[in-house]
Amino acid sequence: MDYLDMTLTEVLDALNAGEVTSQTLVKLCFDKIKQTEELNALNSTYFDMAMARAKELDERRANGQKLGALGGVPVVLKDNINLIGTKTTCASKFLQNFVSPYNATVAQKLIDADAIVIGKANMDEFAMGSSNENSAFGPVKNPVDTTRVPGGSSGGSAATVAAKQCFASLGTDTGGSIREPSSFCGVVGIKPTYGRVSRYGVVAFASSLDQVGPITRSVKDNALMLNVLAGQDPMDMTSSNQPVEDFTSKLDAGVKGIKIGVAKQFFTDALSSEVRQSLETALDWYKQNGAEIVEVDLPSLDTALAVYYILSSAEAASNLARFDGVKYGVRANQYDDVVDLYFKSRTQGFGKEVKRRIMLGNYVLSSGYYDAFYRKAKRVQKVIRNEFTNALQNCDVLISPTTANPAFKLGEKTNDHVAMYLTDIFTVPINIAGVPALSIPCGKNSEGLPIGMQIIGKHFDEATIYQVANAFEQSHKEDK
Amino acid sequence: MSITIEDVKKLAKLSRLEFTDEEALQFVDELTATLAQVDAINKVDVSQVDLFEKTVNADTELRADEIKPSLPVEQIVANAPDKKDGAFLVPITVAED
Repeated sequence: MDYLDMTLTEVLDALNAGEVTSQTLVKLCFDKIKQTEELNALNSTYFDMAMARAKELDERRANGQKLGALGGVPVVLKDNINLIGTKTTCASKFLQNFVSPYNATVAQKLIDADAIVIGKANMDEFAMGSSNENSAFGPVKNPVDTTRVPGGSSGGSAATVAAKQCFASLGTDTGGSIREPSSFCGVVGIKPTYGRVSRYGVVAFASSLDQVGPITRSVKDNALMLNVLAGQDPMDMTSSNQPVEDFTSKLDAGVKGIKIGVAKQFFTDALSSEVRQSLETALDWYKQNGAEIVEVDLPSLDTALAVYYILSSAEAASNLARFDGVKYGVRANQYDDVVDLYFKSRTQGFGKEVKRRIMLGNYVLSSGYYDAFYRKAKRVQKVIRNEFTNALQNCDVLISPTTANPAFKLGEKTNDHVAMYLTDIFTVPINIAGVPALSIPCGKNSEGLPIGMQIIGKHFDEATIYQVANAFEQSHKEDK
Repeated sequence: MSITIEDVKKLAKLSRLEFTDEEALQFVDELTATLAQVDAINKVDVSQVDLFEKTVNADTELRADEIKPSLPVEQIVANAPDKKDGAFLVPITVAED
């Protein structure tokens, strides 16, 4: 068997059994990266660093030392996550030469678990986008069909896992940026509960909504990764002190007696007939296997996108004020004075979508509009949160489509930003409510494009999401 | 709610961004379209919402306020476009007269 066809779990077994070395895996991954270069999934790679680390880990393993939970497995970080001595560009011209002076907590945790970071993934600039076409380094192509987008903003992170350039990656998700690309590329991605994973060292987009999460080729791989990433961090005061359970503990518990909530608001006219059909087939499967389907109500769901664009843009405008051409990033060559330096550097450094969000953010925060937009949106957010909490009191998980349609064509929505924003209609409410949700493949459409199912859990109950997802994946392996 | 070219110019100034007249006009249309979309928040009755009642993430805490080593100055200024002796260099910000 080709080692690159293995899941992370399988390749860990092969490493532990001495069938393969990490050095071989790193070489195989780099061969694959070369073969699939046209995807443009990675912004940077570290062959020498990765080989040196693989050698060290192989030696430790050969000497009988027990390695960490990800011992010797090649992984990729999204290019907004700091790793000492490597570029962190956020796919922006502004940060094209920025070198991380420290490790993000999630990067440190992967290193401590003996993973091998082999590169950083392309993304929408500053994580703003749903198609990975807003990158200063060019769009990423979908490995399933290279005329199509991989989704965004973690498009490179999803594409690199789907194309088997690595065994797992990290993405970040503010309104669907892990789940939408996972759905489009046919892989598994989770946005953990807000507060589950530290954001320290991850470049902020909208701090009250951002979460880091893993993208993998199987549910079990995903749970293993979250085991490594989760936990309170003194460097991030929004990280929660909720105890971290073993997310693999309930994987094989099945779905007998599990209550699955379905809200009619997720099954709108926007849904393509093939996606609807796939979801209904999946729900039937759950029913046949002992789960109970219950109807739940999320009456304010259709306002979540509006809340999202107000809150995320307001936070982005504030967070991105730090990019002024003084402390880091690109400085304009010519300017009249210090204020002009700010204007020129920002105008030259930021791409169009980033400017659009900053403008909207400053509008909703500006005097005279703050109450009508920002404050109102915060209140509606509370209503949406309460609706999710109430719905999840009557069931274990909710199931919805991840997106209304499979991956669209490159360039199809670039001139219509409102249509692009609507792509996230099913993923955005999850960030607004702060609950965890995972996207898992649930079939393909007539063109062979992956369709994603979103499994939404209670706050801090990722383990039940993995249980429900794994049961489905185990019985649908042949569909892959 | 519609946006005027004056609104866009004011926002650009607040945002420390420069736009050509053509770009500014485009923003008038785009922001108007986006604002029409976000108007959906007004459908929800929020009269009973208490913004300060804590529900989610009541389980976060501040770390102890202890002095710990921070990054060396050289590393902090390493990414600055212009620097000297461990400081960020900027144009003169106070007029000399």
